[in-house]
Amino acid sequence: MSLIPGLGLAKGMALTLRRFFEPKVTIMYPEERIDVPPKFRGRLQLLYDEWGTLKCETCFQCAQACPIECIDMGGIDTRGRYHVHWGAAETYGERREESALRRSGRPVPDPAFRPFQPVDLGELDRILEDHDHDPADMLQILEETQAAYGYLPVAALKRISHETGAWYAMIYGTASYYAHLRFEPAASTEQAQEVADHRPLEATYLAALDAALGGSDRPGTPARA
Amino acid sequence: MTVISRGWDRLTLPGKVLFLLIPLLIVATVGLVAVIVLLGQPILDTLAANLPIVRFVLAVTIVLLMTIPTAFLIIYMEMKIIALMNLRIGPDRVGPFGSLLSVVHGLKVLMKEDFTPTGVDPIVFTWAPVVVYLASVMALLVVPFSNGIVGQAFNLGLLYFFAISGLSVVGLLMAGWSSYNKYSLLGGLRSAAQVVSYEIPLTLSVVGLILLAGTMNIDTIVRNQAGWFTDWYVFQQPLGVLIFFIAATAEANRTPFDLTEADSEIVAGFATEYSGMRFGFFFFAEYVNVFIISALLVTLFFGGWNAPFPWPWPVELSLDPGSMGIGLLLLIGLGPVVLTLLFATPFWLASSRIKAWQALIIGFVLANLFIVTLVGAWAYVGLDWVAGILWFMFKTYGFVFTFVWMRGTLPRVRIDQLMDFAWKWLLPASLLNLFITAAALVVVKGLR
Repeated sequence: MSLIPGLGLAKGMALTLRRFFEPKVTIMYPEERIDVPPKFRGRLQLLYDEWGTLKCETCFQCAQACPIECIDMGGIDTRGRYHVHWGAAETYGERREESALRRSGRPVPDPAFRPFQPVDLGELDRILEDHDHDPADMLQILEETQAAYGYLPVAALKRISHETGAWYAMIYGTASYYAHLRFEPAASTEQAQEVADHRPLEATYLAALDAALGGSDRPGTPARA
Repeated sequence: MTVISRGWDRLTLPGKVLFLLIPLLIVATVGLVAVIVLLGQPILDTLAANLPIVRFVLAVTIVLLMTIPTAFLIIYMEMKIIALMNLRIGPDRVGPFGSLLSVVHGLKVLMKEDFTPTGVDPIVFTWAPVVVYLASVMALLVVPFSNGIVGQAFNLGLLYFFAISGLSVVGLLMAGWSSYNKYSLLGGLRSAAQVVSYEIPLTLSVVGLILLAGTMNIDTIVRNQAGWFTDWYVFQQPLGVLIFFIAATAEANRTPFDLTEADSEIVAGFATEYSGMRFGFFFFAEYVNVFIISALLVTLFFGGWNAPFPWPWPVELSLDPGSMGIGLLLLIGLGPVVLTLLFATPFWLASSRIKAWQALIIGFVLANLFIVTLVGAWAYVGLDWVAGILWFMFKTYGFVFTFVWMRGTLPRVRIDQLMDFAWKWLLPASLLNLFITAAALVVVKGLR
């Protein structure tokens, strides 16, 4: 209850009367169309040409232009063709599933046999220091990183992006463009190493075998550290 | 025979109806003409002998017909004004500024199926909207629109008005009762409770005014307020006006007291089972009621058709068209042409980009405006009923605007708040108003 009874009513009536004379906000849609907001980018969609071929050449320009780095792409379909996924990584997470990976011919990560390996970033920091954190030397940085780690771990790429200021999408685009750069360890050595790590008796068997056969130059034997 | 039957089969349904109607129409026309020719004089004599009855029938017909455009206009005002208050544009497609949208709404309601649910009492169900609508129309009969323009002037006009407008409760109860739906019944009872409760302060608030005026004749009440606007009863009955305004708002089921048909809350109240035009009549009656309470407010408290100030100088327009002889014909025939050319010439001369036909159109429009303004001014000055009707409509639609404005602003009250307000505040206030008025009258008379 206000001090003067009816003051609230009067205030409300005054408000609507003011609104009555104010300019209106309606946009007369079919005749009048406002510009889309400056940050609006529409819905992500890949276009096909008249022969039904995907027009996307995975130039990663869209990923670079994306202000929040939500566009990522990549993937191989069941016939070994490069199959382009698009959109935020979450939207095509199905390719990280085991069946999708098996269809695409990639190594299937097995949590039981692939324990988490923290990447030591000290080596990477040294490389970055050598190149003065300059994104112009990206290819050399990436090559040296691969030489140091055997492949390009995601943690390292993130570190490079953070230190050089280059977009992750740009680094990813550069790295995926060159055939000699890889994101996963070379399969043949790595898997054997893991298998050996999880079969502690193998060394004993091999030693016994070596003793029995009198030699250790069997092909395919991994180098032991 | 086959030719006839084939021809008949080829006709569409409207064609068949027309085919049957046309001979009927011809017979009816011929018969009517024959009756007028043969029995014209006795009919005229009978009508002249019963002039009051004829006048009454005519007045009722005119008032009944007048309510329809009034309701359309108020519906349009409501849509447009509330839209503007919501920072929207509102109706703007049909007609100039969308003003025909309410007519389209009316046609739509007319074309909808008029459904009668199983189990209703069909007679009462059908008559309920008629009663509600007729109560409004009949109440409008005693409202004076101008000096002499009144449906039926008689000395108990005010009493008649309240009696007839109270009749709408019967219609609401009929609708609620006959719908064979317990929610409709509840809605009907609830609206009846509301209307009956507010009837009492509404009537009591006017008793003070009746004491002041000394009559219940609405025409006399209006005449008592002639002169300057300070003679209006609003300055002698401020509390009465306030109570009347609030109670009339509730009586007409307008926001903030629109619990009767709180569109957003209960399922249309008493009108749940109604559809089509029977439903439309309830809403028509609501908008006619808005007009009526505005008109009555103006009539009783705001000077009716009196101008707020007396005309400052006496005007004598001794213009007799008959005395001009052949000059009148010349004026009617040549005046518009001359005026059109007169108004067109400056536009044609002013710019070479305005072509002759465009200048003529501009001239025609301007000449028409000029003539209408001239005739209007002449009618305002010369005919006091035109001036009266203009003032009356101006004030009435001002109050209609206020009611729409309130609907655009105020939230709805609860039913207990509604009843509390009627019985605990309005009723004592109206009694107080009556007491003060009576005491003041006694004191003034004693002093005199």
